[in-house]
Amino acid sequence: MNTYLVQRLATGFVTLFGVALIVFLIMRVIPGDAAVMMSGAGSGVVSEEELQLVRHRLGIDRPLVVQFVDWAGHIAVLDFGTSLRTGNPVIEDIGRRFPYTLQIVVLAMIIAVSVGVPAGVFSAWFADTWIDRTLQTVTIIGLAAPSFWVGLLIILGLVFFFNWSAPLFWEPFWISPLKSMSQLIWPALAVGLRQLALIARMTRSIMREVLGEDYIRTARAKGLSERRVVFRHALWNGALPIITLIGFEIAALFGGLIITETVFSVPGLGQYVVTSILDRDYPAAQGIVLVLAAIVVLGNLTVDLLYGLLDPRTRLQRGARA
Amino acid sequence: MTDIIPNAAAAGARAGFHPAVALTQPGRVRRLLGLVRRQPLGALGAIVIIVMALAAIFAPYIAPFDPTVGDPASLYQSPNATYWLGTDGFGRDILSRLIYGARVSLVIGFGASLLGVIVGTVIGITSGYIGGWFDTISQRVVDAMLAFPMLLLALALAAVLGSSVRNVIVALAMPIVPRAARIARASTIVLKSTTFIEASRAIGCSNLRTIVHHILPNTFAPLLVIATAYLGLAIVQEAALDYLGAGIQEPQPSWGLMMSGSATSLALVAPWIVLFPGLAISLVVLASNLLGDAIRDVLDPKLQRTSV
Amino acid sequence: MNANGGIDFFPISRRTVLKTGAGSLAAAVALPSMSWAQTPKRGGTLLLSNGGDPPTLDMHQSATYLTEFVGSPCYSTLLRIDPTDINKLVPDLAEKYEVSSDGKSVTFHLHANVEFHNGMPFTADDVVFSLNRIRNPPSGIVSPRKGLLGNVKDVEAKDARTVVVHLNAPQADFPFQVANPYNVIVPRKVVEPLDTSGQGMKRTIVGSGPFKLSQAIDGQLYELVRNEKYFGQKAYLDKIQMFPIKGEAERAAALQSGRIHGCFFFANESVLAGLRNLPNITTLRRPTPTFINLIPNITMKPFDDIRVRQALSLAIDRQAFIKTVGPLAGAFYHSTGLLTPGSPYNLSNEDMKQFAGYDTLPDVGGNIEANRKRAIELLEQVDVPKGFKIVLLARGDIPAFRDSSINIAAQLKMIGLDATVDVRDAGGFYAAETGGQFQCVAHSVAVSGSLPDQLLGEGYTSFGGRNYGNWKDDSLDEAFRAQSREVDPAKRKQLIKDFQVKFLKTYYQINLAWVGYGAAHSKSLKGWNALTDLYANMQMDRVWLDA
Repeated sequence: MNTYLVQRLATGFVTLFGVALIVFLIMRVIPGDAAVMMSGAGSGVVSEEELQLVRHRLGIDRPLVVQFVDWAGHIAVLDFGTSLRTGNPVIEDIGRRFPYTLQIVVLAMIIAVSVGVPAGVFSAWFADTWIDRTLQTVTIIGLAAPSFWVGLLIILGLVFFFNWSAPLFWEPFWISPLKSMSQLIWPALAVGLRQLALIARMTRSIMREVLGEDYIRTARAKGLSERRVVFRHALWNGALPIITLIGFEIAALFGGLIITETVFSVPGLGQYVVTSILDRDYPAAQGIVLVLAAIVVLGNLTVDLLYGLLDPRTRLQRGARA
Repeated sequence: MTDIIPNAAAAGARAGFHPAVALTQPGRVRRLLGLVRRQPLGALGAIVIIVMALAAIFAPYIAPFDPTVGDPASLYQSPNATYWLGTDGFGRDILSRLIYGARVSLVIGFGASLLGVIVGTVIGITSGYIGGWFDTISQRVVDAMLAFPMLLLALALAAVLGSSVRNVIVALAMPIVPRAARIARASTIVLKSTTFIEASRAIGCSNLRTIVHHILPNTFAPLLVIATAYLGLAIVQEAALDYLGAGIQEPQPSWGLMMSGSATSLALVAPWIVLFPGLAISLVVLASNLLGDAIRDVLDPKLQRTSV
Repeated sequence: MNANGGIDFFPISRRTVLKTGAGSLAAAVALPSMSWAQTPKRGGTLLLSNGGDPPTLDMHQSATYLTEFVGSPCYSTLLRIDPTDINKLVPDLAEKYEVSSDGKSVTFHLHANVEFHNGMPFTADDVVFSLNRIRNPPSGIVSPRKGLLGNVKDVEAKDARTVVVHLNAPQADFPFQVANPYNVIVPRKVVEPLDTSGQGMKRTIVGSGPFKLSQAIDGQLYELVRNEKYFGQKAYLDKIQMFPIKGEAERAAALQSGRIHGCFFFANESVLAGLRNLPNITTLRRPTPTFINLIPNITMKPFDDIRVRQALSLAIDRQAFIKTVGPLAGAFYHSTGLLTPGSPYNLSNEDMKQFAGYDTLPDVGGNIEANRKRAIELLEQVDVPKGFKIVLLARGDIPAFRDSSINIAAQLKMIGLDATVDVRDAGGFYAAETGGQFQCVAHSVAVSGSLPDQLLGEGYTSFGGRNYGNWKDDSLDEAFRAQSREVDPAKRKQLIKDFQVKFLKTYYQINLAWVGYGAAHSKSLKGWNALTDLYANMQMDRVWLDA
């Protein structure tokens, strides 16, 4: 078990290094380097000499390898540098914005699981009835709808029916938790809908499979009530794939999150990374992408470990991983 | 998902199902109709996509108005007899923009999905077949790319490459490459150990021949499933890019662009502007998901469905 | 005049030039002056919306209203534009000033007992530092308004309360250069070390203005509180809170629902129109020194040939341009000349007839078909083939740039050119522009003021900082300097007219329309009036909230 953990951690680090390299290269290749943006080119022609001075001050005129090593070295001690746009340390900006993003993710997952699992169970229990068919249709539509469109529709509905307007100031959770929840529930709903549909469908299919398995028949034969059969045995064994799904879906969740934050103007990481890329804010963009990738890698790692812990079958298979 | 695909490949190989063979044999029309009857949803999906593609191709003949020219006298009109889906803030007909927008979405969606799958397949098969250090390195690169949220990778690349259709296709294909590579590699590894391949090598077929004749046809099926699954995803990502302003720019209409701008004011004035493009996207994604599911069902009904 | 009839405001029609030796200005005013029926009330928090996050809080380095709206209340300048009259100056940090008899020295007498927000005393040394920082920025610091102080030879502090500025040549407009809202006085002891480290005043504001910066949260809030130690009349408001809201419609919605008191920047007409009829909201739009020019890259063939540039100018119907781009970007205004609409220095309608393409301005009486025919002939003369590809570089996130380019491309197609628009995001746009990698660009140029030295100096000289097209013409630059140092008002007026004629004849930049920005505020916001300038009168020290 320990060697497995170490091995997976090592792989994780290598992956992160690869991510760092990729994002670094991309940001450097983007036309319109930070110097042009920073020099207020919008206010007039900036001479090449002035630009060179700004580049030198920012340190972006050094050879790429030097810049990368310098940056990577700082990252290793968790110094993400200073945002070229805000002038704050990137860590500070990330720290201030991370809670909003985290809240949305958590809320979205809570919604997805607490509605999706029962819906899936329901669907499996009443398989092939009109209940099942309705839920199937609803979920398959939920999968197809782009999350930012759902977000736009939610805004439309809120404004039209409830005279809602976007918050001017997004309350941090530790200052006013209820207000902050009430503000963030809407973007969470937009992001979580797709996860909800996925979980519902997966739950249904797993439950159907499991309900047909031998040990369920045994439980029924033993005379256990249907409900006990379903909830005790089936759901427990179906939990694992659901957890796996959640783990692997984290990357997809972030994708939807990024654009949904922009739709709702939430001052979270998603909005920050979009602005950073468009503004050529290298340290910020690189830093956030690394953080997001780290979360994804961690998520996968956690799922792998959970799998290893909870399902004895996979422990045996571990050696044969492709 | 990765462990399902080798089964599909092996199943396909066992069943002798070779799509190329199936389509060229006589009685193919009857076979096709048989497929449709067994998979009505998938057929529906295929039809929707085909209809949209046709509409996009024949846009100049179908669209009632020029999508880029607005009539200043008819701003924000709700759907009526002249403008079936209403007009936007510049007086442009929404239906026409929707039809022309289909071009952008479908071309980029198909292009990105296809490009991503092809490049990914090449990498994956090579990786799985050769093995060794090439495999290890390429797998780490694939891992790194997979850790990127898809939209971020596309966004960064679109910013690098610029906003032309061709560049957006490349930008959107990028996130698909590692996913397709994973799957192609997994199935290659499984197939490598089957008797077909051993036999082929034994009689002296070159590597390339082995790949083309034996591995490729049997990975074709799962990759087709992936391609349709990612078609939907590519279209959504493309719309997202446009919405953010990093993709296709005005005056070229695109579904994502149509939805950008202020949702708050549109909510009160003209909700249809946001409603219809998203509906179009959802429809295409739904169709491609259904098609993907149907293809998978045809290959091996015991597999989990695409949408799960 | 606004085609939509939406103008609430008309610029000054006459002004008298400052006389040498005088200590203050005289001017003819046509503006309504504000008189208060009520006594201003103290207290309250003003809630405003800005158009987004300021890219920097450093006033010297910025040229965007995003920075200026946040910074202006916190800083002081030597002199300041009269809040009720854009042609007048009132004292700020300088109690009074004198111009020497030869016009080459200006002496400023500074206020006593002024403190910066951090308690440091204000002295002449800070003035010297600030002015030098603007005209001769240290390495790594950019200064868009360098040219405004281009005539300054040196700045010296005679004593702690006196500063003498020596000019190379007399300059009638000089005091206005110093009164530009961006040319604020900063404390040397705070800024100098920051400049050395490269930060500049990006994140901090230490000024001497009526408000102090208390919070700056990127993406959320910028908060200013009243400076109780202000050297002038203390502000009425306790606090100002500014929320960055990118979408214009969102700002309008926030205003409409009463969650903010005002927003001083709107470009889009339909958003503004939505606010116009609301009973409790005052809406206005006024012309500002922002103009839209089509700028060909002179260093790229065939734009080095004047006939090609003339053809470009002939192809574009100014009225059609205004009609389409107006509602999208606020480009409702036009001017017969290079100066702001209504400026006394402008040329006459008759005069404009001699410049190719400018006869399509309203009331000049041109014929666009005839113009376009002539354009085609000119292109043939120069061997520019039909279907010649022209790519217009445009910036996607600002309507004034993007929509202008789209319209221009459509009009250029009418003379047989295959004109397309290359829309890029801000970063890509500036990369191409500063690298000279473009054929033509339609640029919305916002200069720092409407006076000839400011407007012509910035926008129409090769050194002014807006020479995107890379032209070089010493005779034009010299013509500019000649008018700048002319002290006789009548002679100067003629020199300014001559300059305009000279420039218009070169077609280095083809002027299309002028932009005016809208503002809207709740009627409970009192004490603010709009000038024909986006940046002036934003210190908010005379603003108060009623109820």
